[in-house]
Amino acid sequence: MYKAIGIICILTGCVGWGNRKIAQERERIGHLRVMCRILERMQAEIGYGKHTLPEICLMLTEINNECYRKCFRRIYEAAAESGSGLPELWRSEFLAFFADQPIQEEEREVFAGLPDRLGFQEETGQAGSIGQAEAFLSRRAVLAEESCENRSKMIRSVSILTGLLLTIWLL
Amino acid sequence: MCEEEILRLFPERIRGRWQEVAGQAEKLQEIRLRAGKPLTILVDGKEWFVDARGRIVDRQEAAARQESAELEEILKHLCQYSIYAFADEIRQGFLTVQGGHRVGLAGQALLNGEDRIVNMKYIRYLNIRISHQVRGAADPLIPLLYESGRVMSTLLISPPGGGKTTMLRDIIRQISNGTAYGRGINVSVVDERSEIAGSYLGIAQNDVGIRTDVLDGCPKVEGMMRLIRTMSPQALAVDELGGIEDLRALRMANGCGCKLLATIHGGSLEEVLHKNYMRCSIEEELFERYVVLDRGAGAWGIAGVYDREGKPCIKR
Repeated sequence: MYKAIGIICILTGCVGWGNRKIAQERERIGHLRVMCRILERMQAEIGYGKHTLPEICLMLTEINNECYRKCFRRIYEAAAESGSGLPELWRSEFLAFFADQPIQEEEREVFAGLPDRLGFQEETGQAGSIGQAEAFLSRRAVLAEESCENRSKMIRSVSILTGLLLTIWLL
Repeated sequence: MCEEEILRLFPERIRGRWQEVAGQAEKLQEIRLRAGKPLTILVDGKEWFVDARGRIVDRQEAAARQESAELEEILKHLCQYSIYAFADEIRQGFLTVQGGHRVGLAGQALLNGEDRIVNMKYIRYLNIRISHQVRGAADPLIPLLYESGRVMSTLLISPPGGGKTTMLRDIIRQISNGTAYGRGINVSVVDERSEIAGSYLGIAQNDVGIRTDVLDGCPKVEGMMRLIRTMSPQALAVDELGGIEDLRALRMANGCGCKLLATIHGGSLEEVLHKNYMRCSIEEELFERYVVLDRGAGAWGIAGVYDREGKPCIKR
C-alpha cells in the first residue's frame, strides 16, 4: 500500500515538475509578446506623438497587463512627479520585476537596458533604436513559440520517464 | 516656487550641490552653466557664484567649474531623457521645462544651405531662467487697465528680465477671474514658449485664471487665428511680439473685437515705437494702454503707463 502511494507521489511530482517547466516556457513567450507590444507602442508614441518617455510611461499604465502596468506607474510617479532620473528608474524597476520571471538574461538586459538606447535628437532615429530592441525580442518570441510544442512534448516525456526510473530504482 | 522645484531641474546625483541655491528659490532669477566656466547664479539682480560644495560665494576664484559631461547630463535630464521631443525647441535655442522655467541653449549651430539652423550640437551653455508666478504683481496696474468696466488692450514693454511675462500672467489671471473693476472674461493665451501658463501634459502649471484657454507651444500668428475662430475669446494674450507678422495677426484679432494683451522687448515706449513694425500701433490705436516696466522702478517695477495716444497716465 505504502509502495503504491509512493509510486503515485513520485510520478505526480515528476509530471508536475515537467508541467511547471512547460508553463514557464509559455509564460516566457507571454512576457516576450507583452514586451514587444510595449516597445511597438513606444515607437508609435515617439514617432507620431513626440511624447516624452515619462508621458509614454503614463500611457503604458493602461496596458492590459497588471504587473507591467504597476511598473510603469511607479516609474512615471518617480520620474515625472519627483523628477528622478528615468534611466536608473527604468533599469532598477524592470530588473527587480524580471528577477522572479522566467525570462532569459539577454532578454531582460535588452528590455531593462532600454535607456542605453536613448539620446537621439530626432524622433525617427529614436523610434528606430527602440525598434531594434523590439525586433530582437520579437525574434526570440517567434523562436520560442516554434520550439515550444516540441519542447513541451520532450519535457513531458522526460518527466514521465524520470518518474518511472526513480520508481524502479527506489523499488 | 519651492526649493523642490529648483532641485528637480538637476539629476538626482548632483542635487546636493544645488541645495543652497534652491534655498534662494524666491529670489533666484537665473542659473548659468557654461562648460569649463564658473557656476553663476543671478539672485535678486545680483550675480553670485557657486563653489564645489554648493555654497553661494561672491568670489569668482572660489567658484566650481562646470564639467561638459555633467552639462550634457543636465540637458538630458531637463529634456526628460527624451531629446527628440525637444528637437524643435533646441533648434530655436531654448526649451521650456516643467514649471514654466525657460532654458536658453547655445553651442554649435548646424545650418542648411539657406543659412537656417536645422539643429544644434555641442550644447555647452545653458541659461536656466526661473519662472516666478507672483500673484498680485498686477494689482497696482489693474485699475488702469479698465475703462467703464471693460478691459483695455495693453502692451507691456520692458528689457529682457524686466518682469513682462510675470506681469502678463497676473493680468491674465485677474481679468479672467474678474476684479473689482470688471467681471471675468474669456481669455485665450497663445503660449508659444510655454512660459505664461507653464503647461505640462497640456495642463497649466501656473494659475492663469478660471476663464482662460491655453494653446501651448503654437506659433503666435497661427495660434491667434486659430483661437479667434475656435474659442471666441474676449481677450487674447501673447508674449514677446517680434515682427510684422505678429502685428498683422494682432490687427486681425483687434478687428474681431478681441482685447489684446501682449508684451514686447524695449527700454521705453519711444524705443518700441521706433521699431518699424510698431510705428502704426499708435495711429491705429491698436493698444489702449502701454505699460513700461523696469526692475529698478520701485514697486512692481512699473516705470510708466501711457494711453492710446502715447500720453502718460502715470510716469515715475
